[in-house]
Amino acid sequence: MASHQLIDDYVNRLARRLPADAVDELADGITDTWHQHVAAGRSPTQAAHAAIAEFGTPQQITDAFVAQAPGRRAARLLLATGPVAAACWGASLIVSRAWTWPIPHPAAVVFGSALLLVVAVLVLAATGRHSYRRTRLAGVGGLGLLVLDAAMVAAALLLAPTLVWPMAAAVPVSLARMMWTIRSLPSALAS
Amino acid sequence: MNAQAQVLKGHLDVLLLATLEAGPRHGYAVKEALREGSGGRFDLPTGTIYPALHRLAGAGLIAGSWSTVDGRRRRTYRLTAAGQRRLHADRSNWHDFATAITALLETRPWPATS
Repeated sequence: MASHQLIDDYVNRLARRLPADAVDELADGITDTWHQHVAAGRSPTQAAHAAIAEFGTPQQITDAFVAQAPGRRAARLLLATGPVAAACWGASLIVSRAWTWPIPHPAAVVFGSALLLVVAVLVLAATGRHSYRRTRLAGVGGLGLLVLDAAMVAAALLLAPTLVWPMAAAVPVSLARMMWTIRSLPSALAS
Repeated sequence: MNAQAQVLKGHLDVLLLATLEAGPRHGYAVKEALREGSGGRFDLPTGTIYPALHRLAGAGLIAGSWSTVDGRRRRTYRLTAAGQRRLHADRSNWHDFATAITALLETRPWPATS
C-alpha cells in the first residue's frame, strides 16, 4: 500500500475508475515517487502533493487509459467492418429475395432489433473518453456481433433456397470477423 | 500539456522502447529514464506513461512481468524481439529525418529561384 493518506486517497480514487492491475502498477509508481521526494528532504505531506502533481489527476490518468483501451480499439475495428458486411449481406439478401426465405416474421424483427442494439453498444464502447468501464462494453457488443454473424451465416447456408454470388463475399466477411472477435476479445477484456 | 509535450507524444513509442534497450525497467524507472535522458525537458504527467506501456505490451513490442517489492506489486517491462526490431527501424528513420531537417535549417544562403 501507499505510505501517506493523500497517496492512499489518490490510489483509491484510481481504483474506482481503472482495472486492478493498472491500479497496482500506478500505486507502486506513485509510492516510489513519494519516497523520492521524501528522500530529497520534503515533508511527507509536501512529498505527497508533489508526487500527485507529477502523476496527474485521476481523471487525466483515466482518460489516458481510456484513449488506449483495448476494448475501445476493438469496438472501433468492429464498427469499421460494418459498412463492408452490410453491403455484402444487403446484396445477398436482395439477390436471393430474402423475403421469400422460410423465416418467421418475429425472428427477423428480433434479429434486426438485436443488430441495432449491438451497434449501439459498440458505438458506446468506441466513443467513450472518460470512463474505462464503458470501453468494456466492447465485450458485450463483440459477443452479440459474433452471435449475429453466426446466425446470418447459418441462415444463408441452411434456409436460403439457393446460394447467390454475393454470399461468396458475405460469408467469408462474417467468418473472418467471427475469428477475429474470438481471438481478440479475451485479451481486450482481460486488460 | 505544454507544446513540447504535444510534440513528444508523436515520438513517445520509440522513446519508451529506447528506455528499455539497456534492460528491464518498471514504469517509474521508465519515466525517470525519460526525464533524465532528456535533461528534464520532457514533462508528460507520469500517470499517462503507464497506458502507453500497456499499449506497447498489447502490440507485443514489450512484455511485462509481475514481482513483489516492499510488499507492493510491481510490473517490470522488457523489450521483445519485435520491440527491438521496431526500435532499430524507428531509430534509423529518425536519424534520416533529423539529418534532412538539420541540413535544411543550417544557416546558409538559399539558392535563388528564377
